[in-house]
This record gives sequence, C-alpha cells and structure tokens, in this order.
Amino acid sequence: MFSEQRIRAVLFYLSVAVFFIFLPFILSSALGYKFDRRNLKFTRSGLIFLKTQPAGASVYLDGKLLNEKTPATINELLPGRYHIRLELEKHYPWTDEVVVEAGQAARLDKIILFLLRPNAKQLNKARFTSSWVDEEHQAAYYVNRDDNVLYKSDLNGEHYEKLANLIMLSPAPVKYKVSFNREKILYFNARQLAVVAINPDNRFDKDAPFILNYPDSTIVDAFWHSDGYHIIVVRENQIEVTEARPQAKAVVLARLNNKNSPAFYDNRSDTLYFLDTQQAADGNSYDNLYKIEMSPSTFPWQELMKRKNNEPKP
Amino acid sequence: MSWGIILGLVILAAWRPVLCAALIITFDFYWIIRTLYLTTLLVLAHQKLYRQKNRNWLADCRALSADKNWQDIYHLIIFPVYKEGLDILRPSLAAIRDTNYPKDKIIVVAAFEERHGPSREMAKVLEAEFNDYFFGYLTTMHPDGLSGETRTKGANATWAAKAARAFLDEKDISHEKVIISCFDADTCAQKEYFGCLTYHFLTTPNPHQASYQPIPVYNNNIWHAPSFARLVEISSSYCQMIESMRLEKFVTFSSHSMSFKTLVDIDYWPVDMISDDSVVYWKAFIFHNGNYRVVPLYITVSMDVAYSTNFLKTIAMQYKQKRRWAWGVENFPFVLSRFFNDNRIPLRVKVWRSFHLLESHVTWAVWTVIITLLAPLPVLLGGALFHQMPIGYNLPLITGLLLKFTVGASLVWILLSRTILPPRPKDVHWVKNIVMIIEWSLVPLIILILGSTPALDAQSRLMLAKYMEFYSTEKKRKVV
Repeated sequence: MFSEQRIRAVLFYLSVAVFFIFLPFILSSALGYKFDRRNLKFTRSGLIFLKTQPAGASVYLDGKLLNEKTPATINELLPGRYHIRLELEKHYPWTDEVVVEAGQAARLDKIILFLLRPNAKQLNKARFTSSWVDEEHQAAYYVNRDDNVLYKSDLNGEHYEKLANLIMLSPAPVKYKVSFNREKILYFNARQLAVVAINPDNRFDKDAPFILNYPDSTIVDAFWHSDGYHIIVVRENQIEVTEARPQAKAVVLARLNNKNSPAFYDNRSDTLYFLDTQQAADGNSYDNLYKIEMSPSTFPWQELMKRKNNEPKP
Repeated sequence: MSWGIILGLVILAAWRPVLCAALIITFDFYWIIRTLYLTTLLVLAHQKLYRQKNRNWLADCRALSADKNWQDIYHLIIFPVYKEGLDILRPSLAAIRDTNYPKDKIIVVAAFEERHGPSREMAKVLEAEFNDYFFGYLTTMHPDGLSGETRTKGANATWAAKAARAFLDEKDISHEKVIISCFDADTCAQKEYFGCLTYHFLTTPNPHQASYQPIPVYNNNIWHAPSFARLVEISSSYCQMIESMRLEKFVTFSSHSMSFKTLVDIDYWPVDMISDDSVVYWKAFIFHNGNYRVVPLYITVSMDVAYSTNFLKTIAMQYKQKRRWAWGVENFPFVLSRFFNDNRIPLRVKVWRSFHLLESHVTWAVWTVIITLLAPLPVLLGGALFHQMPIGYNLPLITGLLLKFTVGASLVWILLSRTILPPRPKDVHWVKNIVMIIEWSLVPLIILILGSTPALDAQSRLMLAKYMEFYSTEKKRKVV
C-alpha cells in the first residue's frame, strides 16, 4: 500500500504541477496571446476563421500549407496582412488578402468554392419553345416545339407526362400560365389568348380549348384568379376580368392612361397591383401604384358579371 | 454553493463572456488533468485487485504470529432487508454459508422491517434454510415509528445490531473480538472475504479505529442487465476503486465492515439519516478524535445492478439511486456541526476533511453542467464582440478537445471493465461480449442524465429542507 500511495503522491503533485504550469499558456493562447520565445513575453495575436462550402479545403497561409482543412481556425497570428489560398480538388481555388488585428478574429465564413465544371443537368427530353418551373408543386413544364404539346416533369427531369395538346397561336405565345388548381393553362400573344384544359387522362373532354381574340388592343399580361375559372387580362388601355370559357363577356376593372402598364398578381390574396399614370392638380402626370382586391369576400365581381351577362353563375 | 457556481457562470456568460470563457477553459483543463489522474488511480487499483484475486487469505491468517489468533475473531453480518424478496436474500445468505471461514465463528442477522407485510413469512423460510449453518442466526423485526427514527436503513441496522449485542453478551463474547459487516440485502461475499477481512483486522494498527471497505461490484446480474444500468453500475464500481486509492478522503460506502466495539461506542448507525453508510464513518472519526480511517480491502463483494422493466423506468430507478447516494451531502452539515463543537481534532484536519467533503459533492453537482450546458453559453450570450475575439473561437475548440480526451480515457475504462466481469453465464450469447463494448458509446448520454442532475437535485432538496426518505432500490435477478 505504501508504494502505491507514494506513486499516487507523485502523480498528484505531478498533476498539480502540470495544471499550474500549462494553464497560463492555455489561457493566454485561448485569449489570443502568443508567447514570444525570444523576448520571453506574451504578445497579443489574432486569428483567422475560415469556413467553406463545401468543407475540407486545404489552407495555404502565405504560401505554406497548413495541416488543418476547412472549417479551420488559424490561431496565434501576429497582427498584419496574410495571404490565404484555399484549394479543393475539382473546385476553383479561393484567394484573398486578410488583415489580422491584435485580439481580433477575422471571420471568413461565407466562402463558396465553385466547381470547375458545374454539373448542370439537362431536364428536357425534347426541344421546346417555352419552359417554366412551378416551385410550389416541384414541377417543370415544357411546350414541345415540334407538336405543340404541353409536358410536365419533376425538378430532376424525371416522371415525364403529357398534359395537353395546345392550340397553335400565330405569332407564337409570349407567356404561358397554369391555373392555381393545375387544371387549365392560358397562353397569349399580343392579340389572342388561348385556354386549354390540362387533362392527361382525358377527364375534361367537355372543356374544349378556345381562343379569346382581342383585335382592337394589345394584351400586356394575363393572370389566373385563384378559382381557376376567371382570368384577369391586362390590356394596353384597360384591365378586365373574364370567365374562362368561349364567348364570355369581360368586365372592365380599370381604364388605363398608360399603355403597357406593368401589373403583378398576388394569388395568395387574389390582389392585382398595377402601375398607371394620373394627372395631378398641378397639371403634371405622375406614376401611381394601384391595387384591386379580387377575393370574393372583398370584390363582388362575380355578381357583377352575372348581372351584366344575365347568365347563371358557373 | 453548486447553484451559486452555475448561476454565477450564467450571469458571467452574458455580462463578462471573456471571463466566463476563461473560467470554463480552466475548468476543462482541470477536468482533463483530473480524468488522467483518476484513470491512473483506477489502473493501480485494478492491478492491486488483480494481484490479490487468488490470494488465500485464510492461509495468511494462519501464518500470523500467535498473539494474533484469528480463531478468536467472530464475524457478525447484518442484512438489513426492506422489500427485497427471497430471490435476492437467499443467494446472499448462501454466499456467507459458502465462504471458507469457519461457520462456528459467524453470526448472521436477517434484519426485516415489521411494516413490510411478507417479512415474517420470508423470515421463517430463511430461518428454516440457514439456521443450522452458523454459530448464530438471528431474525429481527424492526418496529415502525420508533421515537427519534425515520424510515432509513440505518434505523433497521441499529435495531438488529442491538439485538446482536444482547446475543453476544449472552454468549459472553467480547465486543473487541467481533467484526461487524453491514451488507445490503443483495450483497454476495466472496469465498475469501472473511479471511481477508480478518487478516486486515489483525494486521492493521489500532484495528478498532478503522472501517474495512471491500470493492463493490455489481456482478450478480450484470450479464442480464440492460446496457444503460450496467454502465452506470460499472462506473460506480470504478468510483469506489478510485476512492480506495485516496486514503485521506476514503469513506465507507454501501456494504462495509468495522469493529463491533467501535460501533457500540459510537452508538451504532444514525437512525434518522439516509446516508448511514458514510455517517457511521464520520461518527467514528469524531469519536476517535480524527484518528480513524478506512482500510481498503482489495476483494470484491458482488451486488445487483438496479434495473426495471423498461428503459425509462430503469433511468428513473438509477436516477433515484444516484440521488440517494448524492444525499450524502447531508454529511457536510453533520460533520461541520460536530467539528465546530469539537476541540480535540486538529484544525488542519477539520479544514482539510471539510474541504474534501464539500469539494466532492460540489464537483459532482456542477461538472456535467459546466462541460455540457454552460460551455456554449459565452458563445451564445457573448454577443458580436465576443465573436470577434480569439477566445470566442478557442472555447469550442478546447471543449471539443475535452470530449475527445474523454473518449480516449473511456477506452481504458472499457479494457478495465472486462477484468472485473464474472464469467459469461451459459444462457447468454457470446455476442453480448461485443454489445458490452459497443454500449460504452452510451457514456455521453449517461453523463448527461446521471452526471450531475441527481446531485443537484439532492442538494436543492437539502437547501429547500425537502428531506428525502430512504428509497429501496428495486432489484431484479434472472433465475437461470
């Protein structure tokens, strides 16, 4: 027992000695002080913190390769300017000059290392005239150039499906918009607006495609109402709403002074925002931003249209 | 004090994050050194246990000089029982029967609690089975609600010891020749245990001024216990082995032995405190003016791993058991008040022992909290300025280093754990050997749940005067 207790005493005092000898070095290093062996004194240092996306890049400090890979903390740097180079295989290197200040950390944590050859992936399987992405439903739409058919795939270009045969418009349509219930698509050029049911299973045969013609003014934009049945058409001289059916009568929502007024439709609240010019009392014309709330609860336009058309509500 | 340290660090983390981080780094470094030191002690204790594993202690007793006649020594073994069943008690008594010490020098007391319904029935069964093997076999029924008592194991053991004293006096056996062992109901003594104990009693200077502490291992059901419970109990054995190397602060724990004369002199175990196993040491320490010590016995006594029917119940059970152990913090006010009124113990000894006692309980209550919960606080609460300073980056690095170091140390613990395991029972598949290595990956989870929280809980209860009653840990043993 005595010998064990002696070993234990040695261990104990050794542990105490190690603690008190090394603690000042550990604390000073943690606090950003570097021990200057030549002058036998502590000098205040700084550090560089590097974080890259993706991680694992080699770090060169003033041309010297360090052991650490990103994310990396380069400690005990004397104040000054340092050249940093980050290298990761198959990625563009990243270089910069970093200024280190005493007692400060230079934080470089938003570094993106870009691929030398970005792995872009082609999603479409055939040539198309138009394509757009529906983020909400994680789908990509394509209008085939050869047969004018609307296709859909997921965002990896998989699970292709044919949605609809589109009617040809001449000149070619400038925009395509799928209704919020994903049952119909509208597309338009300057004078014509076509509506086609998306019926991959031919479930909507009764909804035959049709074209609305606007011979006397240009179509600037068109939007689906959230009900998937009404269309808001922004023309060069007015904004009107119409039902998505042949020979529907439109209701004018606003007369526009400004041709080609830009408009935006918020489908979450069924609100139309548009820009128009108005003459003020001082005689000058100013651009104004307007909004029309189109939700059934705030805008009784369905009743209005029914009264005008004298037709039953759809 | 523990709450003071924790709350102080939380306030510092927001108010002076750099100072808080520096304190945490200091603690982390201290913990690394401490882990290294204690792991080395554990290795030394293991070595000693291994060396004495196959020692024939009875032969060593016989080889002692004539003035140290081992045949004069009687062993009185008390088993305080509460809710433990026959499946637990029978193997413990059988283990005493199967020791190589002459049974005509052994007196066994099965100490039951009268308030527990099946006690009398069990007492009869055991008496019928074991009465004829020993010099004396006594059954005691501790009455409930005696004046000045609380429902603790110490109260039951004291009642049994008084009955044993009457028996010894009747047989005209000197108290000086009797060594008493107070064993938990599930304690199975090794074949050589009483030989080892007798040898140490006869060779220790002033043997009445010492307690004798075996190494508790939880081998009875270790192969059948779930990983979580097994690891916790192995850690408990480790703690005890480490403590056995730190003689100046070694205190009795769980099953232990001492001179019956001393026990009578100090008026037995406390009858109103939960931590009777350690308080009895302090009573003796004060009675002998500080000239009292615990002699480690490098021989194991085997107990049960406490576990229940499912994982959550096992955690709850282990938590309660550890909280009961942590309730040992009640020793501190007990010891301090006695020290204060005592002028025979040197002041240096009083200060040193009080410090040890306080330090061990405070460290127990705060270490996990500091390492896991408080370490990230300066980074979280330190604000933008702290994030621009080198210490803001170095604090997580050093904390991470501590974790890596702990993983490294746990490799040593894994190796050592293999050496104290009993042979694999036939009904246990060999794959369990691999499971018992992989399960060490649960250590962080155990540290998080059972590291500091039971101690903090116990200390909070003591602080708020919400006193605990003795909680008898449920024991399960698979019948093979």
